[in-house]
Amino acid sequence: MNPIPESVLNVKGQTRYIDDLPEAKTLLHAAVAASPCARGLLKGVDAGAALALHPSIRIITAADIPGVNQLGTAVADEPLLVAAGSEWGFRGQALALVLADSVSLARRAAGLVTFSFDELEPVLDAREAAAKGLIILSPRTQAMGDTAAAFASCATVISGRVESGGQEHVYLETQAALATPAEGCAMRVISGTQHPTGVQEGIARVLGLPMHLVEVEAPRLGGGFGGKEDQAALWAALACLGARVTGKPVKLVLSRKDDMRMTGKRHPYSSDFRIGVDSGGKILAFEADYYQNSGAICDLSPAILSRTLFHAASAYRIPNLRVTGYMCRTNLPPFTAFRGFGAPQAFFVIEAALDAVSRRTGIDGAKLRRQNLLCDGDSFHFGMPVENCRARLSFDRLVEKVKWESLRRNIDSHNAKDPLVKRGAALMPICFGVSFTKLLMNQGGSLVHVYKDGSILVSTGAVEMGQQVSRKIARVVALAFGVGIERVRVERTTTLTVANTYPTAASTGSDINGMAALAACQEIRARLLVEAATLLGAPAPELSMESGRVMRNGSPTPLSWDELVTRTHEARIDLSAHGFYATPDLVYDMKSERGSPFAYHVYGCAAVTASVDVLRGTWRLDSVSVVHDGGESIDRAVDIGQVEGALAQGLGWALLEDLRFDEKGKLLADTLSTYKVPDFHFMPEKVDVEFLEGFPNHRAVMRSKAIGEPPLVYGIAGYFAVLDAIAAARRTAVGGEGPGLYDIPLTPEKTLDCLMGARP
Amino acid sequence: MNMDSTIEFLANASVIRVEAWPGRPALDFIRGDLGLKGTKEGCREGDCGACAVLVGERLADGGFSYRATPSCLLALGELDGRHLVTIEGLASCNGGLTPVMKALLEENGSQCGFCSPGVVIALTAWLIAGERIDETGAVIAVEGNLCRCTGYGAIRRAAKRLVSDFSGLPAGPMQRLAALEKAGVVPPALAAWVMEEKGAANSDAGMAGGLSGADNGETMVSAGGTDWYVRNPDPVGGYHPFFIGREKAYASIEAAYPGAEARQRGLVIGAAVTVHEFFTSAFVNSIVPGIDSFESQVASSLIRNRATLGGNVCNASPVADLTAILMALDATVVLAGPEGERETPLARLFLGYKKLDLREGEFLARFLVPASRSRFNFEKVSKRRHLDIASANTACAIEVEGEAAAPRVVRAAISAGGMAAVPLRLWKTEAFLAGKIVDAKNVREAAGLAVSETRPMSDVRGSADYRRRLLERLVIAHFIRLFPEAGLAEELFP
Repeated sequence: MNPIPESVLNVKGQTRYIDDLPEAKTLLHAAVAASPCARGLLKGVDAGAALALHPSIRIITAADIPGVNQLGTAVADEPLLVAAGSEWGFRGQALALVLADSVSLARRAAGLVTFSFDELEPVLDAREAAAKGLIILSPRTQAMGDTAAAFASCATVISGRVESGGQEHVYLETQAALATPAEGCAMRVISGTQHPTGVQEGIARVLGLPMHLVEVEAPRLGGGFGGKEDQAALWAALACLGARVTGKPVKLVLSRKDDMRMTGKRHPYSSDFRIGVDSGGKILAFEADYYQNSGAICDLSPAILSRTLFHAASAYRIPNLRVTGYMCRTNLPPFTAFRGFGAPQAFFVIEAALDAVSRRTGIDGAKLRRQNLLCDGDSFHFGMPVENCRARLSFDRLVEKVKWESLRRNIDSHNAKDPLVKRGAALMPICFGVSFTKLLMNQGGSLVHVYKDGSILVSTGAVEMGQQVSRKIARVVALAFGVGIERVRVERTTTLTVANTYPTAASTGSDINGMAALAACQEIRARLLVEAATLLGAPAPELSMESGRVMRNGSPTPLSWDELVTRTHEARIDLSAHGFYATPDLVYDMKSERGSPFAYHVYGCAAVTASVDVLRGTWRLDSVSVVHDGGESIDRAVDIGQVEGALAQGLGWALLEDLRFDEKGKLLADTLSTYKVPDFHFMPEKVDVEFLEGFPNHRAVMRSKAIGEPPLVYGIAGYFAVLDAIAAARRTAVGGEGPGLYDIPLTPEKTLDCLMGARP
Repeated sequence: MNMDSTIEFLANASVIRVEAWPGRPALDFIRGDLGLKGTKEGCREGDCGACAVLVGERLADGGFSYRATPSCLLALGELDGRHLVTIEGLASCNGGLTPVMKALLEENGSQCGFCSPGVVIALTAWLIAGERIDETGAVIAVEGNLCRCTGYGAIRRAAKRLVSDFSGLPAGPMQRLAALEKAGVVPPALAAWVMEEKGAANSDAGMAGGLSGADNGETMVSAGGTDWYVRNPDPVGGYHPFFIGREKAYASIEAAYPGAEARQRGLVIGAAVTVHEFFTSAFVNSIVPGIDSFESQVASSLIRNRATLGGNVCNASPVADLTAILMALDATVVLAGPEGERETPLARLFLGYKKLDLREGEFLARFLVPASRSRFNFEKVSKRRHLDIASANTACAIEVEGEAAAPRVVRAAISAGGMAAVPLRLWKTEAFLAGKIVDAKNVREAAGLAVSETRPMSDVRGSADYRRRLLERLVIAHFIRLFPEAGLAEELFP
């Protein structure tokens, strides 16, 4: 195998993340003094004790902001620093910036800054916020058919409530930024962001500069997962503010604890559903109300809610559907993008509804799900036709692969014999729409240089954060030029090389940026082939490039890549190009909630088995099997890594990661010793990922499919596998009617409570 | 007052000699002063493994050890006389890519890369010193390394590759090190350092005047530091750390009466004995057969290399795993102070929440663990099975007589952690059990009684109600595990 150059640096410890960069002698380190309670009115900042600590200490407040004290885009509710006389909205919100000679001093001084304020009554619960009218923008509804009429004709109608908790990203590299003042009032920033242009825009606004004076570079990130999409701008802008005020470079690296308490996480949801089926189990109607706990700041909540609504029906055909989402403003940290982006919460609700149906009616869960799967010719509830549907294909392949029926029988016979360990299994399909649901964002640019020695440099808007998008783009480029991948270097994203980018998010990183890179390559390639035609005296249409050589009608010519490049350059022909791509055929009318907002959908199916220790109330994941619709993979190793990584995060969300706040809005799980993410032992030894072969996707680069987010949703099957095992242990707890409450994460505490009948 | 002292050690292949405050976290020195940025800071509390380094030590018996440890929890002073190996040191091997690195690359086990140096360090330590070169051994080696990208599958596959490549390593530590050097897993600096004629870094000087400043609060006894640095992630000095683990007198396990058979007499266990040493000690396993099977429930392998019994007890957490275990083993603590030594039962050491019966200038020197004929069990439930603090834990030592199907309790000792402000011995439950037949009725009653002896709190690790329910189940679990022939499971969980 050809190792990924960046990975070689990783394993040797030579990758430079922001905190590893050489430091200027004049560098100042920053820390943030944050709000001490969930909601308060700031009256004043007392920096006396902090300043007394060391002469190098500087305290910067909202009054020092030269431009507009606002980072919010959808809603202007996100001040850089809360100004005296204003309210803050969550515990951990930035009130003052502290600068010092060393990071240790800065952090200690930040702890010494005190505030005079009036403490105000916080609202923490989404439903309470909704009842009080604390709704961001307005509720949004999508509907198809006539649910009221349909429910009347159903054999079974079930209502229920579903809760899903928040999730901390735990990117291993915390939020970080390094700002360096440049000539004039220009600013150069290295920011750990998935969205360089967003950071650039925020800084420009806060410093009162045009965007062309702000250069933002996104180096390789130590993980992002959505947490550095909108949430990185604040730290970069604060570093810039410090740099502007002092004229010195400023580095801001959050400690893990500050990162956990100050930054956004996955949105907790509280939802109500109502589902109706006919006597055979065919879904006739589904309704849901999603109360999204949006936290104190709007952030990306509207886009996340939008994805919830689009995925309300998962991979199922539901002729009558009505779903409404509420963005509830509370006094918790700003909940934000996290891999899956509102879809996992929606999938959990519909899966819970189907679980309830299966338990009530006695219809086998797998049969129930299969008979309701989408097919070509159906349409999604927002009017988009279902095309190239692989729901049944992947479902059936999975059932065959795991031998579902015999697996179930084995579990039942085990459970009949073992009083202390019960096993369970669950199976679920997915259907995940790819594209930003905000149309505007589905565009991207690239810049490709072929240097005269034949080496190639590619820049795109795709930020590398471990998802190995660079690998995929390098492959696309290498293939376009017919050269080995070692010739291609994918450069970090900066606003100098590619302008007006959109975040590397929504699984679209390689789709959009790969296409943009390809567009630039094709332009250069055409120029090269014209030159080759001259050199070889052959018509250009007969020529192609492969294996580092120009080919004529598929046969090698004497003209090598190196020579062609040299000769083309000597002929004074441009070896650089800018590429651009806008995802075609996307239309959506927000008013009627109708259109085709996605380029295509990703399908797949997962089966999870788990064991519950009846005595201790603990669970263990035994196996995960996945059949995934990944199109033609650009790089299979990368795709497997994405599926396995997403699975771990999805299973972690469903079972383990317990984002707890106290009754005053203080995050209790604010360190890695209290907030546990999947470790080596958590993941089952047996994780079997199979890709559907032979199903190219003609709507993305190199017939591939986006891979980042969809597999995270499979984690939900982990919840239902454990629930199934609990049901085997205590039929009355979750058998029959199903649990009174479907509640993620299903921690050992909840498991034992279920087993001992202490929960509904 | 100047608290600096001279610290001299080998960092990769360079001799480092500094005047510095020995309590400074090694991580900051490595990244800041040495400029070795390959060692990453992920959490600063030993929970992620990104800052893992190898620390080499020459032992008093002429042997050596290289162990992986999180450098955020390691005092700079602990490096004195030792060999620090960072990822840069490993990357200095022939060609720059060691077989461990290659295995990770070939299996695509490095995505964002932030965890990769720590993973390489942990797997390398496992090849140097791992007790088992198999997949299980590899997983234990990296259990303290969090990776948020890969889902661990690729790292597991890389480990499997290493298992097949290195299963034939020679048994002797020195031969093994030489083989690994030859294979390019470690640079020559390791064996060269081990061979140096400098002797062990440990002193035999006992207290060596270490607590001279204790009466004015200027000295602090540091064992492994794995709890202390979590509470003080950014310490600013102001005292002399006294590294108790460097004193042989406090870092070894011995039979209480030299010459007598350990099983009859019990053990003297130094307070600075590490958790790993404790669980794997032949002495300890001879008086508590099978105790090694509980090791994996405590912390992670990275932490177990540093965390000590004394530190775990003196941190005074009401839910400390080793406290629960030692309490049920009826341990006595020996406290050393300016007026000499005194003994007290471990169960009496805890006066209140995080408050110990330790007088000014006193420190915990060693444990006395009596031998017994009891069966031992340890139960712990935490949110995550590994490297997590318990919601509740309990250990139990029960001596029985009579037939296996209906044994009679002679004597029971049961501890409970996380169930009150201090670690508990469940005295009433123990008294109830004495003389009782182990049957479903008595076990159920004992479990109920156990709960009545506790006063748990609600916190992030569980509600008070949950803890009560859990303890009830864990007490039952003791009996089901210890008396499989008594038919308890079938009767209690029909």
